[in-house]
This record gives sequence, structure tokens and C-alpha cells, in this order.
Amino acid sequence: MPENEKVKTKGIDFIDRIWGFFTSLRLVIVLLLVLSVLSVAGTIIEQNKPLQEYYRLFRPETVELFLKLGLLDMYHSWWFTSCLALLALNVIACTMERYPSIMKGLKTANVVLDEKLEAALKDPAKIRYPLPAETVEKRITDLVKKTFPAAPVVTQTQDARHFFYEKGRYTRLSFFLTHLSILIIFIGALVGSLFGFKGYVNINEGETLSTIQTRQGENKTLNFGVRCNSFNADYYETGAPKDYRSDLSVIMDGKEVLRQTIRVNDPLTYEGITFYQSSFGSLPDNVTLEIRGKTDASGGTVVAPFGKQVDIPGGGVRIEVADYRDHFHFPDGSEAGTAIGVNIFRPDAEPAGVWIYEAHPEKNTHFGYSFEVKGVKVRKYTGLQVNKDPGVWVVWTGCIMMVVGIMMAFFTSHKKLWVRIGTDRKGRVELTAGGMANKNKFAFSSELARLFGSFREVS
Amino acid sequence: MTNSLLFGISIFVYFFSMVLYVSYLAFRSEALGKVATLTLFSGVVVETAAILLRWYESYQMGIGRAPLTNLYESLVFFALTIAIFYLILEKKFKIKTVGAFVTPFPFIVMAYASLNSNEIQPLVPALKSNWLIAHVVTCFVGYAAFAISFGVSVLYLFKAKAENKPGKKGDSLLDLLPASEMLDEIGYKTIAIGFPLLTIGIITGAFWANVAWGTYWSWDPKETWSLIVWLIYAAYLHARITRGWRGKKAAFLSILGFAATLFCYLGVNLILSGLHSYGGKS
Repeated sequence: MPENEKVKTKGIDFIDRIWGFFTSLRLVIVLLLVLSVLSVAGTIIEQNKPLQEYYRLFRPETVELFLKLGLLDMYHSWWFTSCLALLALNVIACTMERYPSIMKGLKTANVVLDEKLEAALKDPAKIRYPLPAETVEKRITDLVKKTFPAAPVVTQTQDARHFFYEKGRYTRLSFFLTHLSILIIFIGALVGSLFGFKGYVNINEGETLSTIQTRQGENKTLNFGVRCNSFNADYYETGAPKDYRSDLSVIMDGKEVLRQTIRVNDPLTYEGITFYQSSFGSLPDNVTLEIRGKTDASGGTVVAPFGKQVDIPGGGVRIEVADYRDHFHFPDGSEAGTAIGVNIFRPDAEPAGVWIYEAHPEKNTHFGYSFEVKGVKVRKYTGLQVNKDPGVWVVWTGCIMMVVGIMMAFFTSHKKLWVRIGTDRKGRVELTAGGMANKNKFAFSSELARLFGSFREVS
Repeated sequence: MTNSLLFGISIFVYFFSMVLYVSYLAFRSEALGKVATLTLFSGVVVETAAILLRWYESYQMGIGRAPLTNLYESLVFFALTIAIFYLILEKKFKIKTVGAFVTPFPFIVMAYASLNSNEIQPLVPALKSNWLIAHVVTCFVGYAAFAISFGVSVLYLFKAKAENKPGKKGDSLLDLLPASEMLDEIGYKTIAIGFPLLTIGIITGAFWANVAWGTYWSWDPKETWSLIVWLIYAAYLHARITRGWRGKKAAFLSILGFAATLFCYLGVNLILSGLHSYGGKS
């Protein structure tokens, strides 16, 4: 039997120890500091870049080591997430640990100022008055009203009347607000990553799309379409972008159900899915080229649609417009203006890619052909970030709780004041008063000193 | 531009207030102390006027934006908040001797700011938001609080060392400083003000990021470093309130916190890259 008991205490011991570990303040402080040290790593190694960029910056074995440690996406790695989970457990355990004492503090305290309580108060006041007790009571309660506006709890005992004043009792709940807010923010983030998505889509002017690409590289079909009616960008004189905006329509079953202009900082939301103005660009619809060959017979004016091969008359050579740049730069960095990327397909030769400049026809001779850009029909597209995050409101709720909780914790305190009006041994009216606060004790005791000073002036 | 002229004047006024605070420490004349405070106050007035004028001039140029959007403007605002914050503390805690150690900061920060371009540049679309003012002001008042806590914590370390040395008291410069308990308390109080402000600053930033980029948290270096700062001060507050860390340990954490704050403010923009690139050198 005794052996059995031993095992049992050992079990309890073990649980106690685990509980002690999770509720210890040392764990909180160590976790907070460890999390901050770990976070530094992810700001030094840029996160979530394309792999080839890491190979350009580091040696291959270093990149492989980083990959193995999860350092290239460290904020989602198992070890960083475990630290956050440990923090969550720690918050839960501490909240449970503190719950009883906070609830006890919330309950109405001793409303009678007896000798035991009086001994526990810091600097209580004792004042005798040559006045009737009723007058003292009236004057004193009037004075206290300025500091404690709520009506007191009045208790009549055998030999005295007791007044209990209280303020800011609910400031004790700030612990729950600040600590549970962290859990709520975590839950919100989890909801977002489980039930939401992030993606992007480029829509040409006039085009309607309902399929987007997610960050994971998958296609996702929405149950409505989005049309880009028009896209416009304004620039400052310096050339810096001033404003860019897309006029979008939401199309449901072929009908427009919503039309809105979005810009940076002003997105559109439909059915919980939000479209953010993110980028823009333009692609040519077709390019008109005047091409001259070695002989007058080869060449002519060619209208080349984007991405399609077309013949140059009289020679068996084909071209394809494959790229387009608004502001092309020559290798020396100087501005070249509009440039068209053209692939040239000659019989019995590898295809070759060349740039054709609109503003520099003298540079446009390739393989015996000279090219001149006669016209470019461009089509602008808008680049939209597309998100769904059902957890975002949970996160905001947590944030508001945290701010309210922190404000309450730092700038309010639970203040109590006891006043007793009785008689001393000689039968004179005697007032005893003292107070207590759970925070900012220094400020409260000077507040009380002022109040008691005004008590002394009562005559 | 007239605002540059006023900023230039405020640098000189801050310089003189620094000289006056140091002389106050040396000569301990009450009259000198009053003049020092008044000079610092007039520096604040001139600089506030300069910031408001810059705001107004941006409208005249047809740009029209709050002057809180690049490295120059943030430094200037940082100097102003440190000066205001210190003046309030001086009035509340009667700690004029600390002024000699705090007033160099507004001067140095302003002088550093003047090395950067002060042209009023138009805003890129991402910065055009009503969240700009709330986000930047809360962050920077928080930073200023941490800066003061840092300064006071350093003074604490020297003062506490001097107090522990037996014998010889009297003429050392350190004896002029407030008692170490007072410095310790101010170091805490300023963090108790800075921490809620930083919290609001991070949250308004997250809210804004969600509107502008579609994600409230993307682990961008600026965001991450602001979180690091937040975590360090959270550790400080837990250690102090619940475990009763005072004095030396608390002072070291406060110094560490401000080192992280400085990196979050300047280091991230000047060394690392990310979404917050507007604050960097252009």
C-alpha cells in the first residue's frame, strides 16, 4: 500500500511540476525574449524569395542548410510555430492560475472598517470633531463625492456608522482582456490561414475573368466574374505615380451586380472576397511594322497580332511579337522609349529574338531586314491582389481587446475608501478613514492625503 | 521654402537649450534653469510652427499632405516629441538636472535630419491614407517615450553605482541627479506610456496594411522589428510588475529595448529592405 501511495504522489508531483512550468513567469519572459531573437533571423535572410535568388546569394550547401532548417520561410517553420503555441499554452495556463484571485478581488470587499482592517491600512486618518455626528456625516460624504462619485455602502454597527466607497473595480478584468486578446488574435490568424486564400489576377481592359492564381500556384474559380471596365494611372511631373485606379464590375450570371472604382488603399469587397489594386501594365494587341528586305519584292507592311507568327511577304521568314516595354533601357542605361520584342524564324536556322525600337529605326536592322514601327495598339491591364480572410474580424476584435486592456491596466486602478464615524472614549465624535488601491499606490496615497486634509478643515 | 528656415532656427534654439541645461548643472543657478526650460520650450514652439508651415506649404505646392512621410520628416517629428515629452516629465517630476542629458537628443536628431533631403516630395499612392497620421504619430510618441526611458536608465546605472560607493559624497556631478529610485520609477513610467502607444501604432499599421496590401501582417522587416521591440518591452513589464525586477536588471532591459527601437526605426530602413522603403534614403 505505501508503495502505491508513493507512485500516486509522484504522479501528482509531475503534473504539479508541468503546471508550475507553464505558469511560471520565467517561461513568459524567456519565451518573449526567445521569440524576439528568433524573429531577427527572418529579417536578415529575406523570406520567401524565389529559390534561384538564394542560390545567387549563397553557396549551394548553405541554401540547402537554410532549407532544411526552414530558415527561408521561418515564420511558418515548425520551430517558430511551436514557440507561438507554447506562448498560447502559457497564456492559457496563467489565465487559469490567476482566475480565482481576480474573481475574489472583484467581489465586494469588507464594507466595515473594523480594527483588523484599520491596522492593515497605510496612513489612516483619525480626526475628532466638536460637532454633532449627523453634521460630520453630511459634510464628509459631500467631500468624498468629488473623489468617489458613486454612493457608498453604509453599515450601522453597535457604536459607529461605516461608509465604504469603491471605484474602478472592473480594472481587475484587464488581465483577462490583455491575455485572452493574444489567443483571439492567434485564433483569427488560424481561421484566416485555414479558410481563406491569397491570390492575384491580371485583367485586361474590357475583359471579364473569374479564375485567379493563388500564392501556391493553383487556379481558383470564383462563383462570379470581375470585369475591368477601364484602368487609369496619373503621374506627377517627376514621373512618380500619383494615383492608379481600376473601374471594376462584378458580374453574376451575366449581369452586373456591383460597379466600383478601386485604388490603392480603397479596395472592393464582394462575398467576402476583396480585390486590391496592386499593379498595372500594358500588352500590345497588335503591332504594325514596315519591313524592308534586301530587294523591293521582299517586305511590306505587316500587322502582327501579339503572340502569333506571321509571314514577311516574299522570303519565307516569319516573325512573332513576343514582348513589349514602355520604357526600355539600352545596355548603357539610357532611355530607349518603346521597344517591341520580336522573334524571327528563318528557314534552316534557330529562331532569334531581337528588340525593335520605335524611336530608333536606325538600330532596327536584323538578318538583312530593316524594321520600322508604324503603330502599336496597346491594351492596358490591371493587376489585382485577391484575398479572402474570414479571420480578419476576429483579429481586429483581439486588437481592440488588447488596447482596451492595456489602457485599463496602466491608467486605471481599483480604489477603495473606508470611513467610520463613531465616538472616542470621552464621547467626542471621531472619524477614521483609510484607503487602498491595487495599482499606482503612490498617486492614490497623495490623492487620499489631499482628501483627508479637507476632512480636517470641516468645522 | 520658409519651413526650412524655421527648422534651421529650431536647431540653434535646441543647441542653446542644451548649453543652458549643461550650465545649469555646472552653476546650479535657479534663474539659469528657468531660462534653459524656456529656451527648450521656445525650440518646441519654433519647430511646431515649422512643421505646420511645411504642411501648409505642401498644399501651396499642390501636393497637400501631412509632413510625416520620409526620413527627414520622421526625424524632425521624433526630435519634437522627445523635447515635448521631456518638458512634461520635467514639470511633473522636477528633474531639471536630467535635462543636460536629454536635450542633446533633439539637437543631434535635428542635426542628423538636416543632412537628409528636405524637399517636399509628392506621396506615392500607398501612403495616401487617413491612417497615416494615426499610425506615424502613435509610433513616434512611443519611440520618444522609449528614448527618454533609455536616457534615464543609463543615468540610473551611473547614479546607483555612485550611491553604492561608501564615503565621499558631495561634489560629484552624479550627486546632482535625482535619487536612483526616482530615476528607476521614471524609467518605468515612460515605458508604461510608450508601450500602449506602440501597441496602437502596430495595430493601426496592421489595419492600414490590410486595406492597402490585403494582408494585416506579412512579416516584412519593419513589422517584424516593431514586434521585436514590443516583445522586449512586454518582457520588461512582466518582469517588473509580476517579478519585481527593479533597478539594474530593469535598466538593462530598457536599454536593450531602445537599441531594438533604434534599429526598427533607422536600421531597417537603411540596412534591410522591404515594404516600408519610403522611410529610407532616396
